[in-house]
Amino acid sequence: MQKGSFFSRSIVRIPLIIWSLAVLYPIFWMILGSFKSNAEIYANPWGLPDSFSLSNFVDAWSNYNIDTSVFNSFIVTGLGATLTLAMAIPTSYALERMRFRGNRFLFTLYISAMMIPMVLGWIPLFFLLMQLNLLDNIFGLSIVYAVSQLPFSIFVLTSFMATIPKSLEEAAAIDGMTPYGILWKIITPLSTTGIITVTIMNMIQFWNEYFMALIFLQSEENYTLALAIDYISNETQYTNSWGTLFASLVIAIIPVIILYAIFQRRIVKGMTEGAIKG
Amino acid sequence: MVQSSRQRNLFLAFCLVPTFILFAVFTLYPLFNGLYYSFFKWSGASSLAEFVGLENYRRLFSDGIIPRTILHDYFLVVTKVIGIMILSTFFAVALTQMKIKEAPFYRIVFFFPNIMSVVVIGILWMFIYNPSLGLVNSGLELIGLENWTRPWLGSEKWALPSLVLPSVWAGIGLFMLMLMGGISNISKSYYEAAEIDGATEWQQFWKVTLPLIWPQIKISILYIIITTLNGSFIIVQVMTKGGPNNSTHVMGSYLYEQAFVKYNFGYGATIGVMILILSLITVLIMQFLMRREKVEY
Repeated sequence: MQKGSFFSRSIVRIPLIIWSLAVLYPIFWMILGSFKSNAEIYANPWGLPDSFSLSNFVDAWSNYNIDTSVFNSFIVTGLGATLTLAMAIPTSYALERMRFRGNRFLFTLYISAMMIPMVLGWIPLFFLLMQLNLLDNIFGLSIVYAVSQLPFSIFVLTSFMATIPKSLEEAAAIDGMTPYGILWKIITPLSTTGIITVTIMNMIQFWNEYFMALIFLQSEENYTLALAIDYISNETQYTNSWGTLFASLVIAIIPVIILYAIFQRRIVKGMTEGAIKG
Repeated sequence: MVQSSRQRNLFLAFCLVPTFILFAVFTLYPLFNGLYYSFFKWSGASSLAEFVGLENYRRLFSDGIIPRTILHDYFLVVTKVIGIMILSTFFAVALTQMKIKEAPFYRIVFFFPNIMSVVVIGILWMFIYNPSLGLVNSGLELIGLENWTRPWLGSEKWALPSLVLPSVWAGIGLFMLMLMGGISNISKSYYEAAEIDGATEWQQFWKVTLPLIWPQIKISILYIIITTLNGSFIIVQVMTKGGPNNSTHVMGSYLYEQAFVKYNFGYGATIGVMILILSLITVLIMQFLMRREKVEY
């Protein structure tokens, strides 16, 4: 099957190189823009900045309250990911390992929620959160986020737990371990790989999420980073502070770049597995 | 034994009940309630709802913007399926079947936009399309095509097509990787046999590779359809908010505008029901159209 004479390989490289430039150039352009002054952006949209000044970052951080939104995003991301695990690990274990009436139905119910347009539920959810006093509240948003990633997390965790040998649980049960002990001391540690994959995927999702935050958060001090940069972007139509906007975009992608650099393989695996669900 | 079965049930309840309650409250209940809300009209203050029966549905069918939003949704579905599938199939074949040393580099780079936030992608592309300082117009000027420059997102004719490129840009990596997974599972002996029979590389692609990765292609297409119908409004909201003059409104962004900008929550819920029905019908039709005998060689 080894195709690819030297000639055809060179031809195929051309679209590959063009697409890499199409992906990388806008990102580099955004990073370069975050160091440019407005005058520079207008005068020379393609070029390098005169000096790598951090003033745009300082401006975004202190004048546009990015610091608060970064903090909020960290809270929502951390809390959301923890809560998802607290729900998904026991449920996945029961669905994967225990026989009970309705097991199959419950599993299908969770999984089919991945295909349903949640936008229909957002209007009632808005009023529900209002009644629970969780509207415009980052803790309320964390709960909504956690539940929204529950189907995906159960999907990945059950397939992981299926690979753990049953004999380990049986041995532990004979030694007198309670089911809670088995779940906590045997299943959870042995599912670490799956738990890490799911957690990274969920964290990226929560860090990036925009629309539910737009609907469920209202006051600026509760904004997550996604809302804050959208806000700056709308302001920029009047203020033309492009440099500040670029800087806030860069702030938003730094954690994602770091995670991707460390966990590249896991993210790819988690996403392709999550996609196959559809 | 009674004791242990009781313990077992308690453990089962511990595992399943708290999670299910949260899922029921924050997912199932709102979905069913969305259906229920579609029979109400909100009059002024946000808590005053009045039962109006099928009034919202009557309005849905006489609302001139609705057919446009549906058309826009399907325009995005079709262009994204074509753009993403052609490019990602090409890249997947190139990166698995050609001996390209730097293939891991392309794989990592092409996938990166998949994990970027839609807000970041949307704002970045707003810059790229910016009439005075964006890359598209200044690029066109650079190569002497000044006549082609235009305010992309500000033009009723070009705004919607302009939204396709960012979506394809951000989508290629994931589908390329899914197809690469399919291709790497194909046994080399099929290609050897094809080569002995004198098949050209192009014939091998059509007769061997494509039929054998059909399951992955089918899943990818369905996935693009579902995610576009259920989520294209996010890029619309970030980049154009449905404008100019409703030329980019999709069903979801119109729902958002009706419910959360104009406070017509009942009518918004009705649009939500329509989105649900249309996505279910579309997925069923596609599954019917794409059913194909499993290939066995």
